[in-house]
Amino acid sequence: MIHFYHVTKKFDRYSTALHDVTFHIEKGEFIFLTGPSGAGKSTLLKLILRQMRPSEGQIVVNGRNLNAMRRSQLPYFRREIGMVFQDFKLIERMTVFENLSFILTVLNVPPKEHKRRAYQTLRAVNLHHKLNSYPLQLSGGEQQRVAIARALINDPLVLIADEPTGNLDPELAQEIVQIFAEANLRGSTVLLATHDRDLVQGTGRRSIVLEHGQLTEERPATPARPPREGAVFGMR
Amino acid sequence: MPRDFIPGHLEPETPANTVSYFVREAIRRIWITKRTSFVSVAMIAISLFILGGFMLLSENLEAAVTRWQGRSRVNVFLDTDATPDQIRAVDAYLGSHPDLRARRFITREQAMARFKSYFANLSGVVDQLDENPFPPSFQIEVTPAIAQSRAFKEEMKSLRAMTAIEQVQFDWEWLTRLRRIIDVVNAVGLTAGGILALAAAFTIANVIRLTMLTYREEIEIMRLVGATERIIRGPFLIEGILQGTLGGILAVGLLFGAFELARHVLAPSSTMLWGFLFVSFLPLQKIAAIVVGGTVAGWFGSWLSVRERAAEDA
Repeated sequence: MIHFYHVTKKFDRYSTALHDVTFHIEKGEFIFLTGPSGAGKSTLLKLILRQMRPSEGQIVVNGRNLNAMRRSQLPYFRREIGMVFQDFKLIERMTVFENLSFILTVLNVPPKEHKRRAYQTLRAVNLHHKLNSYPLQLSGGEQQRVAIARALINDPLVLIADEPTGNLDPELAQEIVQIFAEANLRGSTVLLATHDRDLVQGTGRRSIVLEHGQLTEERPATPARPPREGAVFGMR
Repeated sequence: MPRDFIPGHLEPETPANTVSYFVREAIRRIWITKRTSFVSVAMIAISLFILGGFMLLSENLEAAVTRWQGRSRVNVFLDTDATPDQIRAVDAYLGSHPDLRARRFITREQAMARFKSYFANLSGVVDQLDENPFPPSFQIEVTPAIAQSRAFKEEMKSLRAMTAIEQVQFDWEWLTRLRRIIDVVNAVGLTAGGILALAAAFTIANVIRLTMLTYREEIEIMRLVGATERIIRGPFLIEGILQGTLGGILAVGLLFGAFELARHVLAPSSTMLWGFLFVSFLPLQKIAAIVVGGTVAGWFGSWLSVRERAAEDA
């Protein structure tokens, strides 16, 4: 589903964010991307969403080579990906419902279905009572969950999250991971970037570790957690 | 369940869904930036008001020309001191020609009375004169066909040669002059209105450019969640179109108000001069043209800024 082949990303001659990164994520996997702050996790996620292009190497997502993708195809490609941004990127002048409804407009869902689908998705993140609130009226954790709901509303093929549990207490962090696990059970391939190693260790899921822009370690899913039927776990 | 990717498959946006979103968003943005939007609308309205003013003037002048064109008239002005015998001789000459038979004699007193009734505000000036300056005249009604004939021109030549005749004046001569004036009015109106409408379009372009800068972050988010450029830019185009149309409607309203005011305030004070300028308001087609002009100017302005931003973002 996501394939990186010797990917390097340089911002200038002296600043290399990623260096010769190669990894593969299969369809239906739930994988953690870990590493300390500044390791290059966000850059890697931006490359997957084609917010930026690699300096070297190839990236293939969902069968498409991102280097060769035309600008006009980009919106349609991004609709297959649900992204939870580190800074949430909610539209402040829109209510929670409108933030979700906008995605449905983009996806060409008839307006009469917007309310039902927004309510259902918000219910999954336990925020259905905040439908008419504005983002700035919500706490950080609640904004986080709205951002997750927005990424989930389309049942995306790939779900990517950049530090979705940052600044949350451990209990709430586990809840968030559970939401992603449910999306994974529904068929989405999940890539979750976090610097919180404790969060990863308890889950027994496969993880890849970035340090100073280089892939230093790949940990397979632990056998204690049997792979679910139909999904591909573990290293390629 | 998530859908599998089908290579080459692109989902088109259905107009019914996105157009309603464009309109809702555009109205909301106009409301949020109501002060700057008002400037755009006012600029368009002022430009089209000026253009419409010229159109109204030309419309009424045209109507007057058409009214007068049906009856060609020849005015034969006699010398102020023409004797009764000389007047009788001219009258006899006119009576002997079938084309000139439909004549009416206007005495000096009648001419003065007519002037006073046409130009009420100048009647005081005439009263202060020592003697009546208006000459006696014959007013002859001829059909336009006769007026254009060669024989008629020959008759006019011999009429001019008669003693006691000061001047022979044809209505169609000054109608031709009036037509030239109408052409000038149209040209000036179109040029001034066109320049102003272009300026208004650039104002709209600037306002929309500012709005796009305000929404820059939001536009970026829209791109990241898969919105096409059409969805992102659509509301801005509709915003310009709405502003332009509102400007056009406002211009028609202002024009009608000014027209009614002029008709009630100016017209009764001097019957002839203003009377024929404020007979009728613009016909429906021209009203529609003003509103559509606003719409086009608004669209052009927003298209300019949207196109410019697209080039910058590419």
